[in-house]
Amino acid sequence: MTSYKTGKWLVGAAALIASIAVISTSASAAEEIKNATKFGNMNTVTQDLLNRAGGDGNNFLHTNGDYTQSRYFPNKQINVGNVSKLRPAWVFQTEVKDTMETSPIVVNGVMYVTTAFDHVYALDARTGEELWHYKQKLGPITTYCCGPNNRGVAVYEDMVYLATLDAKLVALDAKTGKQVWETQVADPELGYSETMAPTAVKGKILVGTNGGEYGIRGFVKAFDAKTGKNLWTFNTVPESSVGVWATNDATGRDMHRDIAAEKAALAKIGDPYKTLGGGVWQNPAVDLETNRIYFVVGNPSPDLDGSLRPGDNLYTDSLVSVDLETGKYVCHFQYIAHDVWDLDAVSPPAIVNAAGKDGKPMKAVIHGGKTGHIYVHDAKDCSLIRFSEAMVPQENMWVLPTKDGARMLPGANGGVEWSPLATNPALGLAYAINLHQPMTYHVESSAYPAGKLWLGGAFKIIPTEEQWGNVTAVDYNTGKIKWQVKTQQPMIGGILATAGGLVFTGESNGQFEAFDAETGAALWKFQAGAGVNAPPSSYTVDGKQYVVVAAGGNAQVDSKRGNSIIAFTAD
Amino acid sequence: MRISSVVLTAAMVAFSIQMATAQSIEEKAAICAGCHGENGKPVSPEIPVIWGQKEGYLYLQLRDLKRGDRKNEIMSGIAAGLEKSDMQELAKYFSEKPWTNLQQKSADAATASQAQTVASSAQCEGCHLSGYLGDSTIPRIAGQSEAYMLKTMNEFRSGARANNAWMVTLLKSYSDSDIAALSKYIAGL
Repeated sequence: MTSYKTGKWLVGAAALIASIAVISTSASAAEEIKNATKFGNMNTVTQDLLNRAGGDGNNFLHTNGDYTQSRYFPNKQINVGNVSKLRPAWVFQTEVKDTMETSPIVVNGVMYVTTAFDHVYALDARTGEELWHYKQKLGPITTYCCGPNNRGVAVYEDMVYLATLDAKLVALDAKTGKQVWETQVADPELGYSETMAPTAVKGKILVGTNGGEYGIRGFVKAFDAKTGKNLWTFNTVPESSVGVWATNDATGRDMHRDIAAEKAALAKIGDPYKTLGGGVWQNPAVDLETNRIYFVVGNPSPDLDGSLRPGDNLYTDSLVSVDLETGKYVCHFQYIAHDVWDLDAVSPPAIVNAAGKDGKPMKAVIHGGKTGHIYVHDAKDCSLIRFSEAMVPQENMWVLPTKDGARMLPGANGGVEWSPLATNPALGLAYAINLHQPMTYHVESSAYPAGKLWLGGAFKIIPTEEQWGNVTAVDYNTGKIKWQVKTQQPMIGGILATAGGLVFTGESNGQFEAFDAETGAALWKFQAGAGVNAPPSSYTVDGKQYVVVAAGGNAQVDSKRGNSIIAFTAD
Repeated sequence: MRISSVVLTAAMVAFSIQMATAQSIEEKAAICAGCHGENGKPVSPEIPVIWGQKEGYLYLQLRDLKRGDRKNEIMSGIAAGLEKSDMQELAKYFSEKPWTNLQQKSADAATASQAQTVASSAQCEGCHLSGYLGDSTIPRIAGQSEAYMLKTMNEFRSGARANNAWMVTLLKSYSDSDIAALSKYIAGL
């Protein structure tokens, strides 16, 4: 990846023009030094490299660190002892000053970041120098809720993959940024769009879809990494979406469903699967041992009006596992059947080794919910082992939305929104960032508007009530909260844990902070000048560890916009 | 009332015939200039600026007017005669024109404060984006005609403009005073 100017090019140039041979040779030497690391020049992101990402203290190869989505970086050069010395090594300003949710990906000294409206940059991870810049030419129709976001790229072999607001998947040459192929994932005029970073695994590029606010039928699709050919599609809403008429949520609380009325509606209008939503906003966790993937499915459409969609609305608001090779269903667990609050499942799940019900360690999948709980599942059958203490206030759950608005906490953004969790396996902790935004839930029925925003009502922030956020560490072996730090504003973005005993996260007010992973003690902070609402990454190049984060603000919580990628070192 | 309807109907028919016979994009767009202005400044404050408006939004409005999801005495008739390719072409044409500055006054501090409270509660910038500049299928509303915005927001509230259920629900929950403040504030940006 780093050989964006190859030896062949330089040798060719020298041979062709003798008069500049000396200059070229000297440039070549400079490039070679610049590109060299103690691991040599790796031009290709192999499957083996991707498989071993969890123990790779040099690269940051996956949106959430590794296939388990641990967001745990194994280098401890930056640690509790020296984090106070952290300072910006460089700042790169992108062309686009708008909402930034990108997770920087780093491959052997080259960093890939994205911006709003689907720009991709390759940067020298040592200096922030721009290597190339790609702008996706978006079609005239894009239909996206919550801002023109992009959460980053996937890397595989010699390509970089981007999913776009106009619902395309694009492959770029990693060395040049030139487009190799693009394929239409779904029709944007029907409400489909892409903001997630794709996942690359075993020759496949996986993407979900946005659109739960537009009456889509959600999916996860696999495409051939080389050609862009669609290999399989898993519809997140099956043709029979009715389910078991569950009356309680995952925590056992009554959701006040009128089952008789729903059954009558089902008899009248039939199964609503074609427009039932069920977007997949974030990356799946990949279990390389079983060849399964785990992802969470978002809310049913329309968000607040259950009258048009009788039944449990499978597999919305669920953890789902499918086979990586075929896309066939393996198991699911639904958190909220027939959700009418948009308190859905968005934050990407992570695979951890957690205590089972019998206390013995087992392979588990964890997910941070908008409800404010972290859920712990058995990876074998998706069943629920436990759920954590609530990380945010819960009041009046589950009052049904009304025409004039019913107040309930959490508000519709969570709890934990799309922000990924981080974990520290040695401590058995999961770290989540949360919002507290009191809202009223309003219902107003309207017919399917053919690809336009379709909420079936509204959720409105109560302007007279205080909003805030928190960073919470949860013991996933017990479900107990280990520590919690309150923040000035609702938290959205992401978090990173490192072997240095640290967790890094940013706030909407521009603070980027490091906490002690064990105690939550605030150890360092930096004012970035714009909302830090993106997940941090870390990497090591030339023997020096960096922490990097985007500071571009966020459309969803309307924090101050910016255009910076900031990399920090502790020297 | 009756006379005005007759005039409008006659205008609608005339526009429809012209649109049907127009060949080039310039000819088609020239018909729009009758109301939306030859230089992008509409002939009446209740007619929106479409120069520099977002391409996806313009296309969807024409599509919805043709479908009957949005109704307007003049525009419904015009859109009825348009093919999808005409709508796409017109949307692209007008989106590439420069935005027309109507030189509207900024709202006073009290009005701006009221509008900002409403906008924060309704999360307006979540869709209309920072600075209310819109993108793709979401219209730019910063600097749009105040009278048009007041009219169209009230049409959402009454259900007369029914091609965006979300806006109907959202705007219904605010008072006349809030809607007036929003119109004035955003028009003056």
